[in-house]
Amino acid sequence: MKKKKFDISSIMQSKITWAVVAEILILLVCFIIRPDFFKISYQPTTGMLYGSLIDIINRSAEITIIAMGMTLVIALGGTDLSVGAMVALSGAIALKFMRWDVLVYNTPGDYTVMPYILVILVPLLVCTLLGLFNGFMIANIGMQPIIATLILMVCGRGVAQICTNGKQFTTLYSPFRVIGQGSLFCLPMPIIITAVIVVLVSLFVRKTAFGTMVESVGINPSASRLSGIDSKKIILIVFALTGLLSAISGLIYSSRIMSNDSNNAGINYEMDAILAVVIGGTNMSGGKFSLAGTVIGSIIIRTIVTFVYYFGIVSEATMAFKALIIIVVIVLQSEPVRQKMAKMGKKKKAADVPKGGAVSA
Amino acid sequence: MPEGTTLRKQSLASRLLKPQYIMVYATVGIFLLIYLYGSFRFGKLGSNDIGFNSLRTFVNMFKDNAYYGISAVGMTMVLITGGIDLSVASVACLTGMIVAYGTTKLGLHPAVCMLVAMVIGVGLGVLQGAAIHYLNVPPFITTLAGNFLARGVASLISRESISIEHPMIDSLAGFKIYFKKFSEGEWVKVKPIAFININLLVFIVMIIVGTIILQKTRMGRNIYAIGGNEQSAKLMGLPVAKTKIFVYGFNGFCSVLAGYAYLLEVKSGWNLALQGGELEAITCAVIGGTLLTGGVGYMIGTMFGVLLKSVIPALITFNGNLLSWWGKIATGGLLALFIVIQRIVVTASDRSEARAKKKKT
Repeated sequence: MKKKKFDISSIMQSKITWAVVAEILILLVCFIIRPDFFKISYQPTTGMLYGSLIDIINRSAEITIIAMGMTLVIALGGTDLSVGAMVALSGAIALKFMRWDVLVYNTPGDYTVMPYILVILVPLLVCTLLGLFNGFMIANIGMQPIIATLILMVCGRGVAQICTNGKQFTTLYSPFRVIGQGSLFCLPMPIIITAVIVVLVSLFVRKTAFGTMVESVGINPSASRLSGIDSKKIILIVFALTGLLSAISGLIYSSRIMSNDSNNAGINYEMDAILAVVIGGTNMSGGKFSLAGTVIGSIIIRTIVTFVYYFGIVSEATMAFKALIIIVVIVLQSEPVRQKMAKMGKKKKAADVPKGGAVSA
Repeated sequence: MPEGTTLRKQSLASRLLKPQYIMVYATVGIFLLIYLYGSFRFGKLGSNDIGFNSLRTFVNMFKDNAYYGISAVGMTMVLITGGIDLSVASVACLTGMIVAYGTTKLGLHPAVCMLVAMVIGVGLGVLQGAAIHYLNVPPFITTLAGNFLARGVASLISRESISIEHPMIDSLAGFKIYFKKFSEGEWVKVKPIAFININLLVFIVMIIVGTIILQKTRMGRNIYAIGGNEQSAKLMGLPVAKTKIFVYGFNGFCSVLAGYAYLLEVKSGWNLALQGGELEAITCAVIGGTLLTGGVGYMIGTMFGVLLKSVIPALITFNGNLLSWWGKIATGGLLALFIVIQRIVVTASDRSEARAKKKKT
């Protein structure tokens, strides 16, 4: 007769709960100001669902995908600053491959110069290799992650510009449009891609020992080395994965605008991805991580941006909102505050014990 | 006394060859190499007469990046304590915004606005330092919040760039000290005309102030001690809290000065000004031999870091055939080179220390 007890304190302590509560609160505010905020309509001509909620999840795709990798990077106790530059680079390569005859034919057309498979695969491969380079600098040369990835952050956009010779290509190639603007099961394609990636990464991390190993390296690298974990290999895999995910994100971004924009593509993505991870309850100092929390964190960021757009506030003011969120998260996550909360929790638990004992008896 | 002199000579040589100095030598050496190359290729030293080695080009190298240089002074100190500050560029941007808005829209005297901006900038720095120390939050995430907050507030003030016209700003921006030479009985301006402006003056003064603080004061010793090992600094009874708050406050001060310098250069406030500038400042400091792990760094190195960062674009401009983006790639390459050199120097010095310890036992 063992019933699963509805344990309020464990739910209160779970970091995801707070993120979910925050998201619901923001959505409620939106709903009160604009009662049609939750309305989702079906557009028969395009076969897609439309609505603010769909739009929020759709537009959060780029950050969510990158933040999956960033979660693992932060769980290792590092940061990856190069993701934004890789987003720009992957878009630049893809567009160059489709349109590098642009000197001859100046009108954008529905065609590709290189085979479509290369348009997709080469950016993914290049960014994975760059991620491996990051990982190599960190694992084998022993640099700090923040400085190792700073190198690519500084020169990545430059490489993207050189690669397209400083030009901005545009294309109308329809199979490429599908990535960012197509739809599947009535949902925008980026949502589907994101869902697949989230599921795959979660399975890879939680159904194998990989996630536990990442946490262990993040908590204590030397102890995990002594217990037989090849931390170098794990660092390499995690950074390569982040590179791959940034490339996918870059393809989605450039497919949305059907162009490459090396100056603005992926700008501040590294900060947004880190923010999503931190809101999701993963600590910056490494160790335990939560992929589900990261997804919610990314959606929260996008909800705020949509909120700001929707109600006609200055778009750059989202920065101020983001700052407020970080400040709240910082205060909640900081040690002195947590210790105090833990003390309060203990008092409550102590009061609960006799009750619980009586029930189980 | 021959014995005494040899002893002193040895100590002088070993003092000059300390591993932490080698980085500064490397920076100076590479700067000189590039500068000499440019002078032979594009200067009077070579065959053509463009004038890479003219006084004007040299002074302009300081002037071009003066605001990053001023900011890098404070950043060097932060990095020496083992921290990082991502808020500097946004604070500089906010400074420009406050002065421009106050002067143009509110009709206040620029000096008053500058004072207000100074109070806000230093206050934010002090707050960040306090949060980092007392709440024990990673500097990265704390200053990320500061970054978003400052830029968000700047955007809330105005989205459009506000130009500024005031006799005081004009006279400050127009302040010039010409280089003159004595020929035929009177002082004449050297040709091509070279002059020092107020930004360059502030940059040089800040480098001197920074050097004095780091090398000659108790605060400087505390900064190095905390960067070396915060725990032992605490156990030794050094005022860790005071030092950290001072460092972030001083960095806020430098950011505001950098904001003034940028304002004088463009004579307007814009909410997207200096985007990504924090990483430029960090790059200057790192190229100048500051270790991101803390404990090592010199102002003079940072100064040469700034010079090294400006000599590359100068070279590209003189070449005339290359895309300016090569500058970014070269900076990234330099960064990678310096980090690898740092790594080698640190490992070598660790090994020699370990060997010395073995010998003792």
